[in-house]
Amino acid sequence: MSSAKSAAAKAKTKRILNIVITYCILLIVAFIFFFPCLWLILASFSKSGSIYTFDGFFPTEYSVASFNQLFTDTVMYNYPKWFLNTLFIAVMSCILGTLLTILTAYVMSRFRFKSRKAMIKTTLVLGMFPSFMGTIAVYLLMTQFNLINQQWGLILIYSGTAPMGYLTQKGFFDTIPYSIDEAARIDGASNFTIFIKFILPLSKPILVFTALTSFAWPWSDFILPKMLLIDQDLYTVAVGLMSLDETQFSRFAAGSIIIAIPIIVLYFCLVKYMINGMSAGAVKE
Amino acid sequence: MADLSLKHIYKVYPNGTKAVNDFNMRISDKEFIVFVGPSGCGKSTVLRMIAGLEPITAGELKIGDVVVNDMEPKDRDIAMVFQNYALYPHMTIYENIAFGLRMKRVPKDEIDRRVKEAAEILGITDYLKRKPKEMSGGQRQRVALGRAIVREPKVMLLDEPLSNLDAKLRTQMRSEIVKLHKKLNTTFIYVTHDQVEAMTMGTRIVVMKSGFIQQIDTPKNLYKYPSNKFVAGFIGTPQMNFFEGTLKKVGDEVVIDFAGSDAKITVPYSMMMKTTPSYLNGDKPVIIGLRAEDISLDEEKVQKSAAKIKVKISHTEELGTETLVYGDIDMNGDGFAETNTRVIIKSGGFKDYTPDEVLEAALDISAVHLFDKDTEESILPRIPEYNYVDCVSRGGKLSFSGVNIAIPPAICLDEGACELLIPPTAITFGGDIPAEVEGCEDISGKVLISLEIGERRMFALSDRKLPEGKTAISIDLKQVAVNMGGEQVISPMPTVNTLNGTFSMVKSKVQRSDGKKQKVRTYYANIAGKQLVMPEEVYLKMFSALSGRKVYNTTFDYEFTPYDFTLAQDGLEGEVQAMLDYGSELFAKVKVGGSILYIKAENEVAGKVFLLPEMAKVSVIEKERGIRIV
Amino acid sequence: MEKAKQILRSFFSGLCNKIASFFKGIPQKLRSKLAAAKEIITQGNGNVGASMCIMGLGQLLYRQWAKGTLYVLLQAAFIIYFVMRGGADFFGLFTLGQVKGDAWYGIKGDNSIIMMLMGILSVIMIIFYIAVYITNIKDVYRTQCAEDTLKRPPSFTSELKDLLDKKFYKTALVLPIIGVCVFSILPIVFMILIAFTNYGGDIVPPELVDWVGFENFGSILSLGQFASTFFRILGWNLLWAVLSTAINYFAGLALALLLNKKCVKGKAFWRAFPILAYAIPGFITLLGFKFMFSYGGPINFYIQEGGGKAIGFLAVNSKWAARFIGLGVNAWISIPSTMLLATGILSNINTDLYEAARVDGASAWKQFIKITLPYVVFATTPVLITQFINNFNNFGVFYFLRDSVRSEGYFLANNTDLLINWLYRMSIDNNYYSIGAAISLIIFIITSIISLVVYVLSPAYRQEETFR
Repeated sequence: MSSAKSAAAKAKTKRILNIVITYCILLIVAFIFFFPCLWLILASFSKSGSIYTFDGFFPTEYSVASFNQLFTDTVMYNYPKWFLNTLFIAVMSCILGTLLTILTAYVMSRFRFKSRKAMIKTTLVLGMFPSFMGTIAVYLLMTQFNLINQQWGLILIYSGTAPMGYLTQKGFFDTIPYSIDEAARIDGASNFTIFIKFILPLSKPILVFTALTSFAWPWSDFILPKMLLIDQDLYTVAVGLMSLDETQFSRFAAGSIIIAIPIIVLYFCLVKYMINGMSAGAVKE
Repeated sequence: MADLSLKHIYKVYPNGTKAVNDFNMRISDKEFIVFVGPSGCGKSTVLRMIAGLEPITAGELKIGDVVVNDMEPKDRDIAMVFQNYALYPHMTIYENIAFGLRMKRVPKDEIDRRVKEAAEILGITDYLKRKPKEMSGGQRQRVALGRAIVREPKVMLLDEPLSNLDAKLRTQMRSEIVKLHKKLNTTFIYVTHDQVEAMTMGTRIVVMKSGFIQQIDTPKNLYKYPSNKFVAGFIGTPQMNFFEGTLKKVGDEVVIDFAGSDAKITVPYSMMMKTTPSYLNGDKPVIIGLRAEDISLDEEKVQKSAAKIKVKISHTEELGTETLVYGDIDMNGDGFAETNTRVIIKSGGFKDYTPDEVLEAALDISAVHLFDKDTEESILPRIPEYNYVDCVSRGGKLSFSGVNIAIPPAICLDEGACELLIPPTAITFGGDIPAEVEGCEDISGKVLISLEIGERRMFALSDRKLPEGKTAISIDLKQVAVNMGGEQVISPMPTVNTLNGTFSMVKSKVQRSDGKKQKVRTYYANIAGKQLVMPEEVYLKMFSALSGRKVYNTTFDYEFTPYDFTLAQDGLEGEVQAMLDYGSELFAKVKVGGSILYIKAENEVAGKVFLLPEMAKVSVIEKERGIRIV
Repeated sequence: MEKAKQILRSFFSGLCNKIASFFKGIPQKLRSKLAAAKEIITQGNGNVGASMCIMGLGQLLYRQWAKGTLYVLLQAAFIIYFVMRGGADFFGLFTLGQVKGDAWYGIKGDNSIIMMLMGILSVIMIIFYIAVYITNIKDVYRTQCAEDTLKRPPSFTSELKDLLDKKFYKTALVLPIIGVCVFSILPIVFMILIAFTNYGGDIVPPELVDWVGFENFGSILSLGQFASTFFRILGWNLLWAVLSTAINYFAGLALALLLNKKCVKGKAFWRAFPILAYAIPGFITLLGFKFMFSYGGPINFYIQEGGGKAIGFLAVNSKWAARFIGLGVNAWISIPSTMLLATGILSNINTDLYEAARVDGASAWKQFIKITLPYVVFATTPVLITQFINNFNNFGVFYFLRDSVRSEGYFLANNTDLLINWLYRMSIDNNYYSIGAAISLIIFIITSIISLVVYVLSPAYRQEETFR
């Protein structure tokens, strides 16, 4: 009797200990991930711009001057303009890139044509090359097409290379039963109608996922804009913020927070789609 | 409203697998046809070919009078219900049912009327505004049915529609589908792997296995007259008992010897008349099939019965109305493993059997099924392959049971005792041999007549029933084989003449009556160096069976019967090798190119002849894929 | 040991079989193509011949006006392109220019690099043209087949309609293929070619560039300044890829499992922190961390407060400190995505398995080892490969943290640089184009070999084998 009781008590303490340890780890993890963000937020409200005047992680004086400066002092660093540039490029590439990726994935999932296998293998091999191996060539190409120092050049590159990452989306489409296509065909729908009326509405999760990733990439990319954009007026936020140094730290922090907020909001709203999208691609790849 | 005809349908995948082989069937209007077979037997492929979801490799598919091989599914006037329902998840039930009509641009109020009507029939009116995922499996299946019937199709195709439902719902939906069939009055084609579904629903059932049709028949005939061991084992629960054994005819009796056991029973030969005699000499292993209800443990019956075997009881399954008794005719067997000595016996009511008890069981031999051990084909066919007749050849005459037939010159037979193998088709009515009609049996459109000739029982085929009583027959000796001393000395004359050949087209210009020149194309079969004009109905079929210009680059087998040739001044050049005189008919054996032909001749010919085949009657076979095109 | 041997053996035999069957397939494919060509040539009628001479002529003779005209126009367009510049571009690809520009004499010379680029473009155009030409012949032969077998050839409108139905894949793939060709394939081919030229250094236009064969690879692998740098960087790069992938993978997995625990309340809340880190654009994080570890940054502030001397974590003389910071920062950025992925996969595990395990009396730890881990590892192997390659080519971390630093003993690089950073600095910042291109080819070879091996050794692949 008593041994059973003590065993039960033991199990209980063990469980409580387990819970305590779990929460401790969670707290530490939360701190690790949150503290740098907090630091940036605090820094953005610092009155003096330079990092050298900080009291460790904490600014000595707080104000919203950096944010003000960001939007008013636009002679050297035209933040509002950069922001709009980034927004334009990201939105356009998101629309085009999503369209192309979804189309490619749909075709690869639903059609069996002669060169299909060869295409799949080619994309796999191409994916092995270092991502910006061809950057110089792209640069030269852009000069030839007169697209250097132009936002459309960037949009073309972002959306043109987007279809290479169609595998995740194909994995998702593969899970939509083929008999739905067949039922629709018997009902008299063409493949185009099937795509528009059935596949697209059924693939909302993966559409959101694709749109999100193809928006986030141009939004935070710095390599291509840095290379292709020359005029300060055309800079994206990433390139612009990179030109700020340690003495402009709070300005950098403020700019970062403003650029980060939209994407953070998007991710938090759509976290369900992210999880589903990532695992759909992973399992089926 | 629509008959369906499938002629020589094949499905060959690019990697060479043949999913469907020479599928031939006519489905009349309003039939409920069930395709049944184990998975991978090609039943779904046939259905999908009818639906137009799968291209047809070769053959001709007609719905009504229209060849629909190359037609889009939507234009075929069919509707299909899928195994996983395939409802459109993002649409309401109403939209699901209406979608097909919308695509057809049916007016809105008409759509509304028809959707509501279909919903009414299926009892889903209350759910029209719901989405599929808010419904149960049975309701979803109703929606799928609704989506199909709202199209008012000529043919309803159902691909294992009940296999995702639980047992109770399945039984319920089964009768609802049957009811629906009665109400709608359209042709239903239903695919299932469940033989119970097949037996309970179909007016006719097609049993398939690895791409081949095994048997097409009504449920009753399938159960009573399975044409091979596969069908016998597939249809009916519990499964038919199969024993291995041999048959030996001793006088007027047949001894059935069960392998793996001491059991041996003796039955009168009259009960096994249709058995192919070559199995009756006691050394060819056969499979003996008996259904559980045709074996009885009832003491009264056992006492009366002449065919008794000892069974060691193993265990029982009580099903309420009846008890299944498991046992073994091998006294060392355990009655559990599926061996060829295990036996399942249906016994009425509740009765206690002690395990390991040895009882006698009565076999109902009139219900026995016999199969060849290797080919598994029935050796007790409804239409026997041959009538076996012992006779004597003497003085140019064959005589048996008081009948004498003159031996025609085409048959060179030594004198002595011999055995005739007369196929039922070789017996024709009208002639000089007296006979008596004993009875008629309707077998899938043909009538099998049992005749008494002298004292012999023989079977003949006819198109219509004949009154019992006296009649006269004649025997077509060219179809008859003769055995003498255990060896076949005379074989029937081949009735299929195969010629190798190609196909070609020649363009020419012809003066029209108005003086203008017109381009004309003529199509030829090239056989043995000769061009023979092909009739339109033949080459059109060849065109539809072969893609591209393959038809011009392929070697075909052209097949003709002996009656399809005429002797002429021009045509295939051949050398007469022999004349075969069957008395009433005269045939010439002619060598044309590398092949030997048997052709009907009016009178004696010799030396070089020219043959003109009647091209309209040709059968065309593509050798590479082994496909019969015409 | 035995097991490892067996796996290796099956790996090599599998690989050999794959390669063998690939090459075995070629002659047969070729033969069937040749047979098809022979059939068209020997059996095609006059109209087919007409289309062979002038694209679209056969179609016009068959009275397929719209299609015929389209083909004729395409042919005309190609001829105009070829005469105007395509032909010259094509030959330029081989010569890479013969006239050297000289501003003094006012000679406008050849730009080798542009010529090469345009040359590749012209090759792509020629391939497209040949493809169109072949479809043209096939099309007219199809019409002949239809005519000869009394079938009606599809009308132009029905063929157009088919582009939205049966041939919808063609319509749908046009834009993606053009995009991938221009922005992925063309640049990659260009860089592969560059690796075999002497482009870079002093030899940039207007100087003429020339083909040099494998010289660049030779100098990377053996020439003093390049070779020593290359092997040092390669060693660190491999170590980096393995370490960072392992850290991110296992930490992400652990985090997901932690958040998946039954006793954790408010999962969404706890999950929010890693997602926050995931959502912040990478360059902000990296620049932020750079500031954090800089001389005047908060870390050094506290060190100085504590009486220490400011440490140049990312400065020239630090090596392992900078490397560890890099690993940590990369973990901070990458762990959340692994966590999200693992969360998705964990939610897909069949709970019956756990119930069965509990009935069998398996402890929580046993359940984890026997069910969770194999399942997750099985499901994520392909991701593991991608993550490994991404880490191998992780450009951002050290570009932001230490781009301006040059270490002693390294040529145009520092001791934390990965191959990809070196490649970038060599080609983009310092004009060593051909060497850079050769390095990228070497990176390609390394990554593809590694991912092939990992893939073959992965449970997903072996499972496939056992199920076959």
